[in-house]
Amino acid sequence: MTVRRCSIALLALGVLVAGLYGRAIAFPVDGDQTTLPPKTELNEDALDKPREVFRSEFAGGKSYMINLGNLAFSSPGILGGVARQAAVSCGTCHVNGAGNAKFFVPKMSTRPGNFDTTGPLFNPKADNFVLDAVRIPSLRGARYLAPYGVDGRMPSLRDFVHNVIVNEFAGPEPSPVILDAIVAYIQDIDFLPNASLGPGGRLIGKISESERRGEALFTKPFRHDPGLSCAGCHTPSGVFSDHQQHDVGSGGLFKTPTLRNADFNAPYFHDGRFDSYDQVVVHFDRVFDLGLSEQDRRDLVAYLTAVGDGTLPYEHDGAGASLKEINDFATVLGTAIPAGDKDTVSLAVDTIGNELRELTEQYPDRKNTSVTGGGQQRALARSALKELVLILRRIDMAVADGRTAEAATDYKNYRYLMAAAVPAVLAGAEPWSLFNPAVHDSHYAALRQVMQSKHTPR
Amino acid sequence: MIDLRVAACLALLVLGTGVRATMAAPLDDAAENYRPYMIEGIGQALAGARNLRERIAAGDLAGAKKAWISARAGWERSEVFTAGFVPELDAEIDAWPNANSGFHAIEARLFGAGRTDVESDTDALVEHLDSLHGKLRNMALPPQGLLDGIVRLAYEVGESKADGGESRISGTSLDDMRNNVAGIAFAYRAIFATALGNADAKLADALAMRIERLKVVVAARDLPSLDIPELRRVSEELVIMLQGASGKLGLQRATLEAKSL
Repeated sequence: MTVRRCSIALLALGVLVAGLYGRAIAFPVDGDQTTLPPKTELNEDALDKPREVFRSEFAGGKSYMINLGNLAFSSPGILGGVARQAAVSCGTCHVNGAGNAKFFVPKMSTRPGNFDTTGPLFNPKADNFVLDAVRIPSLRGARYLAPYGVDGRMPSLRDFVHNVIVNEFAGPEPSPVILDAIVAYIQDIDFLPNASLGPGGRLIGKISESERRGEALFTKPFRHDPGLSCAGCHTPSGVFSDHQQHDVGSGGLFKTPTLRNADFNAPYFHDGRFDSYDQVVVHFDRVFDLGLSEQDRRDLVAYLTAVGDGTLPYEHDGAGASLKEINDFATVLGTAIPAGDKDTVSLAVDTIGNELRELTEQYPDRKNTSVTGGGQQRALARSALKELVLILRRIDMAVADGRTAEAATDYKNYRYLMAAAVPAVLAGAEPWSLFNPAVHDSHYAALRQVMQSKHTPR
Repeated sequence: MIDLRVAACLALLVLGTGVRATMAAPLDDAAENYRPYMIEGIGQALAGARNLRERIAAGDLAGAKKAWISARAGWERSEVFTAGFVPELDAEIDAWPNANSGFHAIEARLFGAGRTDVESDTDALVEHLDSLHGKLRNMALPPQGLLDGIVRLAYEVGESKADGGESRISGTSLDDMRNNVAGIAFAYRAIFATALGNADAKLADALAMRIERLKVVVAARDLPSLDIPELRRVSEELVIMLQGASGKLGLQRATLEAKSL
């Protein structure tokens, strides 16, 4: 087996002369020639990414449809116009199925973490000529959270996804299988577990006095509206939502958001106007004249924090995490190649190729001034990833020509490389990569410093 | 640490890939066709850099920007050989993102800050380009190195420029790409097209078609109009075909990274 893997590595990695070439391209978006407005922040350089928990991981593994959905969710190709051009995918806003609190597009966001889905940028035809940005929601637990949209206007998640692709982001009409797949993927994203939540949404285990008092306040009727309470809408349960629309003094009727994992879902309210639970509690105290004392407010915040918690909300981004996702995507090829499914193969090749090219840029080239050392290791990593991109493209070309057996052989080689050789090469280069916080900070500080020259008053 | 087995695989690969010598001599001759283009390109870069020095001495920001763009165009046309043949100078001249000297340091001052106080950076650029220009008449031009250079640049052209690209402050990233493609097209045509046409006419046709397609893609009105997925696809297909052509040209399979410093 070792010999076989070795020969495949020989074949596919090519003659690797240690060294570096190419150039690291990275956000922030800036300059006069960008598809997205200058000063757009996509937060793609974050070193910690939201952790994904999938229902299917506890039920025998992800299905083809879930992996296909995840792939499509990560593909700019299913969107249209500007989004496709700017390499924006569903996953740009919903990072690993969560939100993106730093996402900001000038004139389309009113603050980081929100976005006007009916603005002029992505689909001028959908422009309602009002800057009405809405918070980018987390999709964790979305299968429990119908109806969809901040105003709860759509009972069907499938219809909602269709609307996002076709109307909000000007994408071509998606095939039914792609729509079903994206829905399957979203419905597979679970809430992060919270050991403090018991049956009926009660706090269990080691609970502080403040949290306990907060729990009581949460269910206590409002003093001027005894028919109302926090718990009346955020029904203590596995979801903490009544799935209804309410007017809570924020400018209209909006759906009750879940409190599950909400510690990681700031900013809050439909437009993301609040940064913290403190501000949210103050708002309710004011609008409903609850007469809360300082201690009451602190207790409610403690309670919300306990309810909104989740295990390991973030994970350090590294080659391992990227490769895991890329490997999940690539499983789609295992089905699509033998079936001669050209569209799916192309989607997979384009999307995985994008991911691999982005991963390549995590290993700075030799012209990059922000890292020294590890030249051979970085070159090896860059070269290996580029070879993978090319194997995938060969697969695409072969399937397009009806040469599926050839494509299947390439796919087998690809999988062998991804099983051992590539992870080893990337691990060898990790200390000099942007996954190393010191190198990361040095690189982005250099980049931002250069970009700043564009905005310094003259 | 890199797994020993992986390292052994890679070492074997380097040793085990033989060169078929049959085509070497005609290609050596053909490689000479590239020399005047190379000299002209770096000559343009050098002339532009000298002009830039004059313009900044005169405090002429608009003229300095124009000279920078002209110098840059000559450089980008020459990237087929710079990274592989003169890696040290390449790293000095084209360092990124916050180099102390070189094109991008000057770019940030001229186009970003709108200032012309780049005398020492420009002096260094002129010196480096002059040094490079002086080497070109006698520089060995092994066809393998030139094929590797074409392949690496063809791959690089396919990288996303959605963030504004390498020369985003001057807004000339698309010009960089067009000049890269022009350099690729010339080098391929001058050095390899005839030999490959004799060895495999079908592959030569397909390859020429991809280069023409690449030209069309980068002829986009501006960077935001560039069809990035199409660019990537064509770039990768071109690289695959060039790698396939390597053996037919009697050369080793072209590599994707240049020699380390």
